[in-house]
Amino acid sequence: MDQIRVQALRRTICGIALTVLLTAPAWAQRAHRLHRPHRSGLWAELGAGPGRVRIACSGCTDVVVASAPSGYLRIGGTVSERVLIGVEVFSSLDRAFGFSRGDTTTRAETATATVVVLWFPSRRGFFFKGGVGLAAGQFTVPGTAGVDTSNGGGIGLTFGFGWDFAISRKVAITTNLAAHVTAVGDVVLPGKRIDDVIATMYQGSIGFTFR
Amino acid sequence: MTAPLLAVLMMVQLDSAPSPRSPRSPRTVMAIGQVALINTFVNRVDALVFKHDWARSGTRVWGEHLRLGWEWDEDAFTTNMFAHPYHGSLYFNAARSNGVDFFQAVPYAIMGSWTWEYFGEKYRPSLNDWYMTSFGGITLGEVFHRISATIRDNRATGRGRTLREIAALPMDPIGSLNRLVRGEWRARGVNPPEHDPGSYVFRIGGGARFAKGLMADSGVGRMGAMLVDLLYGDPFATEYRSPFDVFGVRLMLSSNGGFSSLRASGRIYGTNLNNPARRARHVLAVNTRYDFFKNRAQSVGGQSVEIGINSRWPIGSRGYAFRTSIFGDGILLGAIDASGTGLGTRTYDFGPGVGARWEFGFDRHGARFLRVFGQLEYIHAVSGASADHIVDFSGIEANIPIGRGFGIAAHSTVFHRTSRYSTAPKDERNYPEARLLLTWTKSGFKP
Repeated sequence: MDQIRVQALRRTICGIALTVLLTAPAWAQRAHRLHRPHRSGLWAELGAGPGRVRIACSGCTDVVVASAPSGYLRIGGTVSERVLIGVEVFSSLDRAFGFSRGDTTTRAETATATVVVLWFPSRRGFFFKGGVGLAAGQFTVPGTAGVDTSNGGGIGLTFGFGWDFAISRKVAITTNLAAHVTAVGDVVLPGKRIDDVIATMYQGSIGFTFR
Repeated sequence: MTAPLLAVLMMVQLDSAPSPRSPRSPRTVMAIGQVALINTFVNRVDALVFKHDWARSGTRVWGEHLRLGWEWDEDAFTTNMFAHPYHGSLYFNAARSNGVDFFQAVPYAIMGSWTWEYFGEKYRPSLNDWYMTSFGGITLGEVFHRISATIRDNRATGRGRTLREIAALPMDPIGSLNRLVRGEWRARGVNPPEHDPGSYVFRIGGGARFAKGLMADSGVGRMGAMLVDLLYGDPFATEYRSPFDVFGVRLMLSSNGGFSSLRASGRIYGTNLNNPARRARHVLAVNTRYDFFKNRAQSVGGQSVEIGINSRWPIGSRGYAFRTSIFGDGILLGAIDASGTGLGTRTYDFGPGVGARWEFGFDRHGARFLRVFGQLEYIHAVSGASADHIVDFSGIEANIPIGRGFGIAAHSTVFHRTSRYSTAPKDERNYPEARLLLTWTKSGFKP
């Protein structure tokens, strides 16, 4: 049942993403007409989208790749007309993850909290993003007596780019393509130990920006 | 090695040679080209001249790296914690020496490091290398850029001018090569703003170092030591103008182990917390910090961002004052030696952390007579042992002037660490150390 819901959610998010991307030029024209910097003062951005997570570890000769929905919240201020600084919290959840092919028994949750810098090369709304901070990961598998959980904390890193499409003076729809790296240490689960796990999430997302 | 680099640098000189520091827009294309050139040059020299297998990367390796992504590497502590930051400083200063400002130069270090990790080596991209090269490169890069600009003098002539240019070369080789190619080693002109720090204190000392645990596990070892301290700018004399307009560097060399410590901390933002006209001053500072401590007893280092308050309470009217500092920091990525580390041949852990430091000092125009300090850092290992490390470093340093800039310095420090491993017993160690040095201080003060 969970699988069906996740697939439906993915399809919905992909549909929204496609719609926004197809209508992007018109929205960009509108933003240009507004003659206003992309963001000013205090701003906040909330979004979600499909992600593709790649988990690598020390000594592993291959990587595990899976799809997972993800979301983020970004809040910040403006340093200058082109440079913004903020804090971003990103999270992804895969209820049917596995550390080997065909295994879908693990629930994988990864999150990062990073200080991010957004750089707008022009006033058109296109921006680059980069940030560093902390990360957390939780991997849960059902066991014979309840569930077994492995938690880890570590370093988080994010970079990517996006576009603000203004829909009013105070609101924009923002598309993002970003990578989120979460290095969370060792994952120890019944019968397996994965050393120095580094999960990289590639995310395409759509969000609302209040600016 | 310099000749081919020079040749290619000359080829990518898209602009005509200007007079030194003439006002102009940044040479962005040139800076990007030089970052790419650094990577290509280092890779090709290592592959073709030194026959290093790790440098034999190609499209198949690049594809593997893009598919497999990051991992942690097993390189030696000095390689990861000093050589990589130094390498990062080359990228950063490729941008700075082409007129790019501090913040705009940051992506050059980040992207230079990223492209090297993915395309410059046969090994998988290393996340710790990327952190150390990028963030260490930014901190060390700006320190090297400013010290080099201070050493160079565009108004000087003759042999003295050449010696200055040569002296700056090891710290800022890319900047020096750019200047050489553009004819700026000889051309006379105005100096850049970084040339004059306003206030500064330079202190160099040589003498003996007595330390427990450095020569053997028991007893006290005695060795020669050289200490260099540089305070560039003064947070109270200089209003915040640009990143690293105020920074401090300490370098210690030891006859036992050579290069034993390097610490650099530079202000990237600052503001007054009270009226600058008041006698007692309080200023807020945000610093980036680079730490490297390595000897036979302990190895610890990392890249940090710290925020805190510097205060100054003047005594009388001849420049004497008490100073205090209190800072909290976040370690972006730290490294510490760990007996229970579990990654191949590596003997230290990597991880993020938090910490705090405080300092009380008595000085005249920034030149310390007395300094009492403490620092506490926590590192949570994410690569290596499953461990949490606490490092406590404190000490007292006195410098007694004996005339003509010379002085006698006595230092006493204690390095204490506690490591809690999930699969090994707790490890607790204490390393007291004393130093007796003959020092020479040169300082300048501009209120």
